[in-house]
Amino acid sequence: MRRTPLHRLVLPVAALALTQTAVGAQSNSRDNLTGVWALTNARIETVTKGTIERGTVVIRDGVIEAVGASVTPPADARVVDLSGKTLVPAFIDLTSSLGLPQPTAGRGGGGRGGVPAVPAVFGQPPETTTEERIVGLEPDRVIAEELNLSATDARTSRDQGIGAVLVAPARGLFRGLSALVPMRDDTASRWIVKTPVALHVGYQTVPGQYPGNLLGVIAYQRQAFYDAQRHAMVMDRYKANPRGVPRTAHNAELEALVPVVKGEMPAFIAANAENEILRALALAKEFNIKVTVVGAVEGFRAINALKSARPPVVTVDFPTPAQTTGWQYQFATRRDPADSAARTAAATRTIEGNAAALNNAGIKFALASGGLAAGTFMENVRKAIAAGLPRQVALEALTIRAAEAAGVDAQLGSIEAGKIANLLVVLGEPLAATARLESVYVDGLQYDVVPPAAGRGRGGRANNPPQMREE
Amino acid sequence: MHMNFMRHAFVLAVTAVSLNAQQATPAAQASGALDPLALPAPAAGSLVAITNANIMTASHGNIMSGTILIRNGKIAEIGTNVTVPAGAQVIDGRGKWVTPGIIDAHSHSANEGINEGSQSVTAEVRMEDVLRQDGISLYRQLAGGTTTVNILHGSANTIGGQNAIIKLRFGLPADSIKFAGAPPGIKFALGENVRRTSNAQSTRYPRSRQGVEDLLRESFIGAQEYQREWDAFNTARAAWDKAPARSRGAAPIPPRKDLEKDALVEIMQGKRLVYWHSYRADEILMALRVSKEFGFKPNFTHILEGYKLADELAAAGATASTFADMWGYKLEAWDAIPHNAALMAERGVNVTINSDSDERARRLYQEAAKAMRFGGASEETALRMITLNAAIQMGIDKMTGSIDVGKDADIAIFSGHPFAPASRVDLTLIDGRVFFDRNTAPTLEWLMQLMRNRPRITSEDGGAR
Repeated sequence: MRRTPLHRLVLPVAALALTQTAVGAQSNSRDNLTGVWALTNARIETVTKGTIERGTVVIRDGVIEAVGASVTPPADARVVDLSGKTLVPAFIDLTSSLGLPQPTAGRGGGGRGGVPAVPAVFGQPPETTTEERIVGLEPDRVIAEELNLSATDARTSRDQGIGAVLVAPARGLFRGLSALVPMRDDTASRWIVKTPVALHVGYQTVPGQYPGNLLGVIAYQRQAFYDAQRHAMVMDRYKANPRGVPRTAHNAELEALVPVVKGEMPAFIAANAENEILRALALAKEFNIKVTVVGAVEGFRAINALKSARPPVVTVDFPTPAQTTGWQYQFATRRDPADSAARTAAATRTIEGNAAALNNAGIKFALASGGLAAGTFMENVRKAIAAGLPRQVALEALTIRAAEAAGVDAQLGSIEAGKIANLLVVLGEPLAATARLESVYVDGLQYDVVPPAAGRGRGGRANNPPQMREE
Repeated sequence: MHMNFMRHAFVLAVTAVSLNAQQATPAAQASGALDPLALPAPAAGSLVAITNANIMTASHGNIMSGTILIRNGKIAEIGTNVTVPAGAQVIDGRGKWVTPGIIDAHSHSANEGINEGSQSVTAEVRMEDVLRQDGISLYRQLAGGTTTVNILHGSANTIGGQNAIIKLRFGLPADSIKFAGAPPGIKFALGENVRRTSNAQSTRYPRSRQGVEDLLRESFIGAQEYQREWDAFNTARAAWDKAPARSRGAAPIPPRKDLEKDALVEIMQGKRLVYWHSYRADEILMALRVSKEFGFKPNFTHILEGYKLADELAAAGATASTFADMWGYKLEAWDAIPHNAALMAERGVNVTINSDSDERARRLYQEAAKAMRFGGASEETALRMITLNAAIQMGIDKMTGSIDVGKDADIAIFSGHPFAPASRVDLTLIDGRVFFDRNTAPTLEWLMQLMRNRPRITSEDGGAR
């Protein structure tokens, strides 16, 4: 499924489909005929409006129709008795690369990049054609247009309670425009919840060409934002009054940056180390743009800076002590081994306590995987809780805070009438290792969760398959 | 966070002031406990006095058994008749030698990137974007009396990146180590590195020394055209602003802002200093011609053949920052001699001795002493090569570089004469604040624990200044 990347030629078709989806999914409920469900006698953690100890959630065509202690199941509903079970909103992971071609090192990887031609003339810069794309340096890469997500991908996430993921490339300095994707088996671009969510930015270089060093990466980004500011100004003036004004060339890369410099779309900057976080926030200040720090695994070292920033997306892909600022230096060889083990344990507490430290400082944040496999993601969330993150805060961070960060809190992140029906049915404490996730609703589609041991052959299929209408 | 600094003040009171304290290790270290609040650098008191010390001012000779009074991080009084006010924290300098904090004019010690080597012209890249503060070598340099450092771009490109001048406020975050008010600079380079001698496969222009000159002139001429575009726009814009709103058309559209050309324009306007990596006399002469053509005064670094053209350098007002005794490590370093620094100084060139190395940066005072040993430089000339001259070269001599009233209290206190082989630095102060104290210096191991576990403190907490 990851072998045939989309080529630019087919993109106009995909873009057309996308436009229809964006309209259809919002305004025409008949598109998503998932039937009517009444989930009764459940303990309902709405996240935003407290907990209902025994209540009912009604779902109609993918949307939560009613939530409450005294809601009567409609006559046309399939009634499911959830006595003894808990309903929570499905989790949202804002750091996913599901459905994208695997990143490859070097230029031309991932089936999208162009390999700069070997220069024919000594001393001349390599020639590139307009067809060639440089991986990691493509702000106008629209992820929604190339998503190729398999049912297995969706199920793997869903079986850990993840109902939606934000897909963006994991490397590069201008990575593209992300899409928020529900974890349903038939996820195609038509079911995307939102696109574009953000411009994704990072600090990786482009091998073999400029910028080839962190120095150049930051300079390149700075110049790009200046260029985008000017491009926006020139294009706006042209649109306002084109008569007699020489035209400016179309520039897709700059067009992709324009909503960011206008403050209409956030830049999600992957920044983990203390200094990366400070650099990302310095960029926000320099251009007065909305920056969401994504990663922040050393957030505990940048508390003050994060306090005045937009809520970060904190990932739980914990670094090792040796990867952490202040710890990299090779002194371990001079330590006596027992001492070293104690210190590593102390470091681990600090690193796993990152989210707790941010919470103690009053910083709101979303939790995300940082690209970890779904199972490890939840395991590490439990480590963060063990290191002092209150469980309720963790649940909020996995649901409503993530929805807020992606700008979809009107649609996702809590159990409220009118929101998309992304729910988990759990036996036991939802965030505990002992929890048994029994069933996941995504867009109102009910999926059984298959325990890993018994996972072969069944499960993962929606029990109420949508009636697709192919146009 | 204020509590932290209360703690620091306490630590200062008990440990940092007396040079004669017999305490080998801080209490927290002895007990093995991690105290994340006990930073090695206590906050500066508002009044600090260094008494009865032999003061080498670097600007106006030596004062034997004198006192320096520091008020709010600045040097307030110097002399043999200074009254120490009540309440001042007193550092007993008896038997000690005091010099200005040492300045390293060429360093790559505090940055995550050195070369943006993918292009020959990268005037847009900035070292301050990639500063890092947690390198242990910075602390070692403090232990060698170094207080101010010029973080330069590497020498891979004809026109490299913009520099960052920092103070070694070790233990504070990257944004609090910058030297506020230091004039901006940029690294240029000549010779083997930029023409990629060691890389036969390189296809980057230039491949020859002639090409380097051509690229320099082409870049500056391009920047002049860019500047003319902006001048024309500014004129048009000013006219438009004055024109009556009804009769004027649309406002003129500004040209594209080009960060690379902006930096080159700043050089020609005298607002950005050029630090030129250089070896051979012939290409240094070329650089002098190019500098003259585009109207700026160059600073040269390495400049191993500077002694061959000391008069030309002095006449051009160029400064020279060299190694004490490094030579022969590449073909273009073949003609280097250890007398270089002293010979250039003798002909009136502003000379400094730099490290370009985390290791040499710990003992620049020994490097300076070599200018006396080999070239016969005077003691004060040698001292200036690592203090005042560097401050002049970097445009920060109004603020640091010598022990003068009104300057930042950046000070190194040595156990003996700084050029004596057995002398060591006992205390290093930046802005009047003790950042290194040999008596209470934690072992490296303990220090690194502090680095790892303490909460972060940003400049807003006021720690840096």
